[in-house]
Amino acid sequence: MVYVTGVGLVNVDRHYDKSTRRLAFEASTAALESSMAEGVDFIIVASSISYLHEPQLDLASYIASSMGLRGVRSITVECGEASGLAAVMTAKALIDSGQASRVLVVGVDKLSEYPSWRVYKNLSLLYDTESDAFYSIGLGGIAGLLMRLYMNVYNVDRLTLAYWPALMHQNAKANPYAMLRFAITPEKVLEAQPVAEPLTLLDTFPLGDGAAALVLEGKASRGVLAEIVDVESATGYQSIALSDDPLKIESLEVAYGRLVERTGMGSVDVVELHDSFTITGILILETLRFTERGKAAEAVAQGVFSVGGEGPVVNPSGGLKARGHPIGATGVYQVAEVALQLAGEFPGLKVDGARSGLVVSINAMGSSSYVAYMRAVG
Amino acid sequence: MGEWSSARVWRSRVYRYRLIAGRCRSCGRAHYPPANACPYCGSRDLDEVELPRVGRLISYSVVYATPFEDRDRSPVVIGLIDLGIARLVAEVVDVKPGDLRVGDRVEAVFRRIAVDGNTGLIVYGIKFRPVRVG
Ligand SMILES: [Zn+2]
Repeated sequence: MVYVTGVGLVNVDRHYDKSTRRLAFEASTAALESSMAEGVDFIIVASSISYLHEPQLDLASYIASSMGLRGVRSITVECGEASGLAAVMTAKALIDSGQASRVLVVGVDKLSEYPSWRVYKNLSLLYDTESDAFYSIGLGGIAGLLMRLYMNVYNVDRLTLAYWPALMHQNAKANPYAMLRFAITPEKVLEAQPVAEPLTLLDTFPLGDGAAALVLEGKASRGVLAEIVDVESATGYQSIALSDDPLKIESLEVAYGRLVERTGMGSVDVVELHDSFTITGILILETLRFTERGKAAEAVAQGVFSVGGEGPVVNPSGGLKARGHPIGATGVYQVAEVALQLAGEFPGLKVDGARSGLVVSINAMGSSSYVAYMRAVG
Repeated sequence: MGEWSSARVWRSRVYRYRLIAGRCRSCGRAHYPPANACPYCGSRDLDEVELPRVGRLISYSVVYATPFEDRDRSPVVIGLIDLGIARLVAEVVDVKPGDLRVGDRVEAVFRRIAVDGNTGLIVYGIKFRPVRVG
């Protein structure tokens, strides 16, 4: 059993005045204060692009020292965009094994450090540098060609796919930690600047900085927000070109299958998933079988995943699209958001009476996938 | 692409200059670029096979959000290409993005991939272009 007893979130934004360590400190302090925990056994830092944007090796030790946690055990976890949930998985394993009883997990990354062209280049390294990223795929080359493939295979038009970012912006409006808190229409998505046709700037995440932290404990003595029942994962193909069915995220299918088998979980009330691009969100919904193949965009447009819809409420935070996506921190944000939903304390769009939740975090188009099943307590 | 040392460029020359793929002796499937084990069955019993140089475009994206060094040739077209026994992702050149169609026949051409701004190292490799009709 692992319980979330504290969360700390920094609003995703361009924090030019704050270093990686400062952001990590602010999120950690908030998490420790909210859990009223005295001391932690381990600090696990999830960070990815910071190695390129504010270079520091052995980051976790330096973050620990800079926040006065001298002598604490520290580990840095780097799994690209999935680093945050991979860090939670590591923390849970330490607690389950008895090696730790209280762990601070903090995810942090900054995307505003450099001009966007340099950030795009660095983000392309999330993809395989020996195949896809050997070429100039930029920010969204692989997502763009998958989006075109999806539209052709399932005969889905571009406008139908634009309901996803519109929903994410709508959801983010009430989230004080979201970077983009304004509504957009689906039509506006099509008119936006092209990033990797057919996808536009409004199909992808804003370049912001952020940090999120969790206090995880093995014993639920006081102030528990939620329980993390299990975290599972799997690796996938290095390139979409190797997959016979690139419109299914194979690593996610395997990871989710493992999670269902281990926990016996059924349907969930709330989901926070990895919509790095519109097409990523759609493919995740279909890989999880929340809809039939080729039908997720239409279901989103019909409100199936909105509050009051038939499906689970998906990304009430606004998702990567509108909350933002500080690469290594994102999975930690997602777990914190679901924990707050299950405790009835999420400060944005609430999913009333939510008792169970799912977090989905993947790197690139599924080089690896991580999933977590969470439950309300009491 | 990221930073490449001259040793790294040299190591990858064979499959970058010719379309040499790995082929699994166990399950028979091919993969590009060659890996240490078969991505499908995990076997390490592999040999090499040269891929056909002509294939079909399964899908493509016109990338505007390119790194700085590619700005002068932006937008860059990135294609998913079916070569029969294997697929790969590669850049598609010598075409106006608006003239490209899914299903087009494309052929491999040898081109410059990148120039390292610090060292002047030039990286070459294979791109694809539409097959001219007639
Ligand atoms: Zn094989």
